[in-house]
Amino acid sequence: MSWVVMRAIIAKDLIAVRRSKGVVIPMLAVPALLMIVMPLLIGLAARGPQHPDLARILSTMPGDLGRPILELPQREQLIVLVNGYLLAPLFLIVPLMVSAVLAADAFAGEKERKTLETLLHLPIATRELFFAKLLTAFIPAIAVSWIGFLCFCLVANGVAWPVMHRVFVPTRLWLVMILWVAPAVATLGLAVMVRVSARARTSQEANQLGGAVILPLIFLAVGQSSGLLLVPLPVAAVIGGVIWLVAIWLVRGGAKRFTRDQLAARV
Amino acid sequence: MPAAIQTHDLTRSFPSGVALDGLTLEVQPGEVLALLGPNGAGKTTTVRLLNGILNPDRGWASVLGFDPATHGDEVRRRTGVLTEHAGLDERLTARENLTLTGRMRGLDRTWVERRCDDLLERFGMADRADLPVQGTSTGQRKRLALARALLHDPEVLFLDEPTSGLDPSATRDVIDLIGALATEHGRTVVLATHFLGEAGRLADRMAVLHRGVLHAFGRPQEIAADLWQGVDAELDLGGPVDTATADALRAAPGVLAVADAPTGLLVRVADREVVPHLVRSPVERGVPVYGASAKAPTLEDVYFAVEARIAASEGRTTGPPRTDVLSTPVPVPT
Repeated sequence: MSWVVMRAIIAKDLIAVRRSKGVVIPMLAVPALLMIVMPLLIGLAARGPQHPDLARILSTMPGDLGRPILELPQREQLIVLVNGYLLAPLFLIVPLMVSAVLAADAFAGEKERKTLETLLHLPIATRELFFAKLLTAFIPAIAVSWIGFLCFCLVANGVAWPVMHRVFVPTRLWLVMILWVAPAVATLGLAVMVRVSARARTSQEANQLGGAVILPLIFLAVGQSSGLLLVPLPVAAVIGGVIWLVAIWLVRGGAKRFTRDQLAARV
Repeated sequence: MPAAIQTHDLTRSFPSGVALDGLTLEVQPGEVLALLGPNGAGKTTTVRLLNGILNPDRGWASVLGFDPATHGDEVRRRTGVLTEHAGLDERLTARENLTLTGRMRGLDRTWVERRCDDLLERFGMADRADLPVQGTSTGQRKRLALARALLHDPEVLFLDEPTSGLDPSATRDVIDLIGALATEHGRTVVLATHFLGEAGRLADRMAVLHRGVLHAFGRPQEIAADLWQGVDAELDLGGPVDTATADALRAAPGVLAVADAPTGLLVRVADREVVPHLVRSPVERGVPVYGASAKAPTLEDVYFAVEARIAASEGRTTGPPRTDVLSTPVPVPT
C-alpha cells in the first residue's frame, strides 16, 4: 500500500469535510456540549452553597461504585459522581458518532456528489482506497475525542478546583477507556458504516441504514462503558482488546469483500 | 503496430440486464474512435470495462498491452478519463482538484504543481484557480475535468459525453481541444457520445452500439458500403423542383434513388462516374443546374442508416421521416 496515495485521499476528504459546515458544526457541537458545557455546569452547581444529599442515589448504584463516592465530603460527591463517572459513557459515544457520520459519507457521499467514478478511474489500489476512507473517518473521530477529553479534564478540574483542591480526572481507568477502548469502539462503528456507505446511494440512506446497526452498538457501548468503570484496570483493558478484535475482524472482512467492480456497478 | 485497444467478446451484465454483449473491436494508436448509440447503449459500460473499474462476465480487453481486469492500475496509470459528470469536488478549489488528483496518482508534488499551473493557464482557468469549483459554469467544469484527465499526460483518453450540458461556444472549445490532442499529440481517444456533430468532426472510426450490441464498426465510408449500394450526390437546382424532373432523373441510367432537398435533389447513383451525367436530364427539361457533386457519407448519415436498420430488424420506426435519400437506404444486394 502506498502511504503517499492514502495521504492524498485523506487530505482531499479532510479539506472537503473542513469546508462543510453541515458536517463540522454537529461534529463539534455535540462533543463541546458533552465535554465542556456539561462538566462546567456541574462544577458550577457544586460550588454553590446547597449540596444535594446523594446518599440515596449512590446506595442504589451497582457494585461498590457508590462507596468511594459516599466516603468523600458531601460537597465533592456531585462533581465526582457526574464528572468522574456518569459522563464516562458519553466519551464512547463521541468517537462512535463522529466516525459514523464521516464513514457514512465515505462512499455514499462520493456517489451523491458524482465524484466516486472519477476516484475509481484513478490508479489507486482497492485496499488503499478502503483503508484511506477508514482513516478519513477514524482520524477526526479520535482527534475530536482526545482533544475533547483534554478540554474535559481542564474544565472539570478547573471548575471544581475551589471544591476539590486536587486533580480528580483522569483516573487510570479513564485513560484506558479514552486511549484504548474509545478507538476500538470508533473502529467498530466505522467498519460497519463504511460497508453500509459502499452499498448506499446517498449519505442520508447510509445514515438510515447504519442507524439500525449503529444505534444498538451505541447502547451496547454505553452499557459496556458503565461497566468498565466498575471493573479492575486489567479487565477493562481486556474488554477493550475484545472490542478491538471484533473491530479488526470486521475491517478485514470489509476489505476482502470491497471491490472496485462492486462500487462501480452502483455508481 | 499493435492496437492500442482491443476487445474480444467483451460482455457485462447487471441485475437490470445485459449492458454489453460480445463487443469485439480494436483501436489503433493515435486514432479517435466514436462510440455511438442512444442512452443505455452500453457506451459508459464499455469505458468502465476498458479502464478496469468493471470486470467483464465474458471475453477480454487489452489496453496498451494490459488486461484491465487483471492489471487495472497499470491501465489507469496510462489512461485519462473524462466522465459524463465532471466529477469535481465542489468544496475544493480548481487547483486543489488538480493537485490532489496528481497526488492520488502518486505523482511528484513539485512536478504536479508546475503541471497544474500550465494546465490551468492552457484551459483558461488560471483566474479561477484558487476559487471553489462551486460557482463555476458547466463549461469551466468540463474544461477543468479535461485538464484533470490530461494531468499525467496519458496515452489513451476515454471521454464520456465530453460536451453534454455545454453551450455552443464551450462545445466548440472542447471539440477543438480534443481534436488538437488527437492530431497534434497523437493520443488515442475513445469518445463515447450521442452528439453526432462532435463525433463527425473528431472520429476516424465509429462503433454503433444499441442495447449493448455492436451493430456497426469502421470508417463511415466502409460502413456505408456495407449499408447501401452506390454514392450520394447533391444536385443544386436552385430550389425544390417539380415531380416530373425528379421522375425523369429517377429513370436515368445508374440512378438508384432520388429525394427532395431544399436546393434541389439528393441522388444516389451506382458510382461516381454517373454524377456528371446527372446534369443532362434537368438541363434537357429546361431546369438550370448550379452544381453537381458526389457527397461522401458523413458519420451522421451512416449512424442514422444503421439506426434505421436496427429499427427495421426490431420491427419499429425510427421517428419522423428524414428528407434525404438516407431515410430509405438502398440495401446491398445479397
